[in-house]
Amino acid sequence: MRGLLLGLSSGAVCLASCAPVLIPCLLGESRRVRADFVLLGIFLAGRLAGYLAFAVLAWSVGALLRPQPRTFALLIAASYIVLGALMVVFGLDRPPAACPVPAAGRLRRWQALVRPPLLPAVLGLVTGLNVCPPFLLAFAEAAAARTLGASLLFFLAFFLGTSVFFLPFPALGAFRASAALRTVGRLTAVVVGVLYCGMGLGMLR
Amino acid sequence: MADATLTAAAPHTLLKSSLLALPMVLLSGLMLLGGPNLPRDPLRLAPFLAVYLFVNVLFFRMLRTGRTERYRAAFFIPFAVAFVISFLSNLIEARGSMQLTAGDMASGRTPFCHMVIPMTLVPAALTRTIIFPGSLLRGFAPVAGMFVIWIGASLALGRGFCAWGCFFGGLEDGFSRLRRRPRVRHIAKVWSYLPYAVLVAIVLTSAASLTPTYCMWLCPFKAVTEFPALTSTVARFQAGIFLSLFLGLVIVLPVLTRKRTQCGLFCPFGAFQSFTNKVSPVDVRIDRERCTDCNKCVNSCPTFSLDRESADRGGTRLSCCKCGTCVDLCAKGAASYHVRGTPVGWAPERARLLFIYPAFLFLVTFGGGMLQEALHRVLLLASTGRMIR
Repeated sequence: MRGLLLGLSSGAVCLASCAPVLIPCLLGESRRVRADFVLLGIFLAGRLAGYLAFAVLAWSVGALLRPQPRTFALLIAASYIVLGALMVVFGLDRPPAACPVPAAGRLRRWQALVRPPLLPAVLGLVTGLNVCPPFLLAFAEAAAARTLGASLLFFLAFFLGTSVFFLPFPALGAFRASAALRTVGRLTAVVVGVLYCGMGLGMLR
Repeated sequence: MADATLTAAAPHTLLKSSLLALPMVLLSGLMLLGGPNLPRDPLRLAPFLAVYLFVNVLFFRMLRTGRTERYRAAFFIPFAVAFVISFLSNLIEARGSMQLTAGDMASGRTPFCHMVIPMTLVPAALTRTIIFPGSLLRGFAPVAGMFVIWIGASLALGRGFCAWGCFFGGLEDGFSRLRRRPRVRHIAKVWSYLPYAVLVAIVLTSAASLTPTYCMWLCPFKAVTEFPALTSTVARFQAGIFLSLFLGLVIVLPVLTRKRTQCGLFCPFGAFQSFTNKVSPVDVRIDRERCTDCNKCVNSCPTFSLDRESADRGGTRLSCCKCGTCVDLCAKGAASYHVRGTPVGWAPERARLLFIYPAFLFLVTFGGGMLQEALHRVLLLASTGRMIR
């Protein structure tokens, strides 16, 4: 319950942190509202995976893993750069042109199958690992929890509390018919990506 | 700006032009003086008289010839240059340097820039915080004052602010006129959506970080205004970005394309201001019955606000800044200013007057003071050998 209430109270912060990644994805993918809920679910699943993985790691090693501020800053910087690069890739991605080579055709089909769920999940994972303030909370709670199960349960409840704030976003799918908005979404992903790469590089010093 | 000779629209007679110009003669004097008395200092009086005469001759010519764009640009470009001169002179006088220290920011001594407005709205609404290190009410260019000016200009002019008020736009407007013919003629339409992408990106990232992301990472005009002190590698890295954007978007691309590339392909404030075109009372329309599809307007629009599709629909794109280029250029009078709610092509000269009056007055009010200040600085330099007091 404490985790859920904490999630509900800090969900707006989570939302603000994830919006620069999520909104360009939803605008640029141009899907129906229902499909956008699926995309949101994949994104949040990736984000949760990031939280839980680090919660397990933090609880397992305990105080030994409590990083020095400099190490923490480097980790955050690296994840900003990775996230930024992924956003740029998403923004510039285009369906590959038709090619007579059979191998290229197989690659295209594989890419068409794997890319839609993979990229949002990875974006969610990296977002959860760096830009989201509750990540810091996860680390503190996980390191102090008595059992691994308690730590995971706390964080799962926290995650559910914050996720409520994301529910309106798939409504962006209502604008899927607008080619201009799709273009803006893709270009926004590139700009956000470049900004995050710059911020990450700045944090390295 | 145009590739072909501008054609005259509907000139007025000498008497009518004089009568129409009379209110501007009175209002401009009031705005430029800022008080009831003439300046006593000759180094202040001469700039006032020069600017007063200049603006009124321009406006009279605007009425007399029926042309808008060339007389708008004749004030708009010097206004931008004057801004740089006056702003930097004041800055160096007050602070000794263009560099902005952490202490300056902490004490709210950063003049508010209109470019920040889109970034400040969401954090202000959600957290009641102005994410800009300026003063709300006191000092030069306080936040509250700039917001009021912006709201008034937006309601009256829409994105006309970009052609009649933005001192940054005048710089690239000037550079775009250096060559007679463009070297780069075609820019893919997709790039005209980049300003909206930059707008969404900076609004979202500013709300996430509660810092003005555009000012910290993407502003080309830091090269001619103020910038964070270069005391760290990050600050130097950011300064490199600002300088590169300024050189590329404000100087090189406008020279090569003869377009306002920073305004049309990058500026997030311009993108934000485009939405105010939905509420402003005057817009630009294409009368399809008169249009011969010659594409002169499409080729000459400086901000990529006209394309074949929009012209076929009888209007401009949302980004139109009402500079008057297409209106002056159209040989058939198909492109014209238009009052919302009236038929297309109805009383175009009346619509033009309804727009250029507040637009020019805004330009004089916003820019006349800067022009006077810049001339004063030049006279100070000529008479004392120093531009800084």
